[in-house]
Amino acid sequence: MKSTSELTDFYYKELYPSLKELEETRKRIVSQLQWYGGMGIVVFALAALWMGKNFGLFHPLMMAVTIGFVALASITYRFMTQGYARDFKARVITPLIGAIDPLLLYNPDFMISRYLFERSNLFNHSIDRYSGNDYVKGSIDGTAIEFSDVHAEYQTRDSKGRTQWHTLFRGLFLVAEFNKHFKSKTVILPDQAEKSFGSLIGGWLQSINFSRDDLIRLDDPEFEKHFVVYGNDPIEARYILSHSMMKRLLDFQKKVSHPLFVSFVHNHIHVAIGTGKDLFEPAVFTSLLDYKQAMEYVNTLRNTIGLVEELKLNEKLWSKE
Amino acid sequence: MTAVIIIIGVLILIAVLMYNSLIGKKNQVENIFAGVDAVLKKRFDLIPNLVASVERYMEHEKSTLEKVTALRAEAMKPGISNDQKIALDAKLTAALGSITVAMEAYPDLKANENVMHLQRSLNEIEEQISAARRAYNQSVTDLNNAIEMFPTNLMAGWMNLSRRAVFEITVAERQNVNVSHLFSRP
Repeated sequence: MKSTSELTDFYYKELYPSLKELEETRKRIVSQLQWYGGMGIVVFALAALWMGKNFGLFHPLMMAVTIGFVALASITYRFMTQGYARDFKARVITPLIGAIDPLLLYNPDFMISRYLFERSNLFNHSIDRYSGNDYVKGSIDGTAIEFSDVHAEYQTRDSKGRTQWHTLFRGLFLVAEFNKHFKSKTVILPDQAEKSFGSLIGGWLQSINFSRDDLIRLDDPEFEKHFVVYGNDPIEARYILSHSMMKRLLDFQKKVSHPLFVSFVHNHIHVAIGTGKDLFEPAVFTSLLDYKQAMEYVNTLRNTIGLVEELKLNEKLWSKE
Repeated sequence: MTAVIIIIGVLILIAVLMYNSLIGKKNQVENIFAGVDAVLKKRFDLIPNLVASVERYMEHEKSTLEKVTALRAEAMKPGISNDQKIALDAKLTAALGSITVAMEAYPDLKANENVMHLQRSLNEIEEQISAARRAYNQSVTDLNNAIEMFPTNLMAGWMNLSRRAVFEITVAERQNVNVSHLFSRP
């Protein structure tokens, strides 16, 4: 697999003509957005002034007009950047993924199946709305891997019967074949309780979590500090989480710097990285040639696809060969 | 009067909870030991095969091979205690380790597919055993903690629970492989 610096080179050299054209489009969109935005603000201010005079500033109609303007603005924004986003994915992200491994398939509109997301057992809440994009599938060194952006939400009703949407998870979700056989379920979550309450009370709180399987305490203090592990087979959990595997997961956590959720179910590893945003979307207000921006695309892809090497999932046990 | 009843009730409740948690921990230890036993048995099943296949090649290691066979026979005896099993496992692991190291010096052995196959399954079982040992050690530590810590120690004393032994890494496992020793072999 190509290194990060090779990919950065590829981004600036091979993709330069596409980037330059896209950059022109981006600049045009920004100036159009500024023009529409300015106009919108003027119209909104006039409308507000007129309504404030006739109905008072805190009239319900005022609220409706504000919401209407916000909705109109977001629709306009999406409509104007849609074509640009599609172009960007076709001309930048697709070749970039191809450069990492030519056999990887990429579909910007598709997502990882909801079944796999639910199978991971990472999020116990029921899901009412499931969406995503930027689906990548393929195999690295003989290890099957697939991932995409995922946005899972659930719905609640308050006392007045209004529905509210809550995000259960937003970020990158990845499923890969694991290199060992196992029958049990093992779930690794970021350790909130021990961080906020200390190891004694936090540990006790973790052990009485009824929605999860049994708490599994592992013999790596550093790992225990960052994660909490639940599973239904204490022996298999340790078979999967060998000392070296715990070390590699810790290193990966340090690299991604977002909440990391990992589960081992059905001979597969499921990884959810809670980035909280949609990845692989084109920058609108910063230049595509900006180094930081470029590094974000390159690093996200490299780290995600590189997970197979990072966790040594390609080093299969002989009986799985 | 009611206050006394409430206090007695709370004390009984605490005693019951303590008793149940100790029993739960004790059973967990036994449960996991059964898992350890299962993987150890897997290894026992492999040993006769391994010994039979390498015997012809490894003239110099005859005594080690005999030791492995003897240890296996001893560990397979019915009615030995868990602590004895743990001690025998440590010896067997060390002996098997030295065979693995010695095998490196025999190119004929490494060319033998059957032996390599056995070797790889042994490695896989070795990893399962290590996982089982770690799980057992954790459950024993939980139990031992409860037995020694206040106030569960009072209950444990009354229940006649005693500390259990954990699997220790043998000295041979801890030592690094002596590479120069390997190369100087005849």
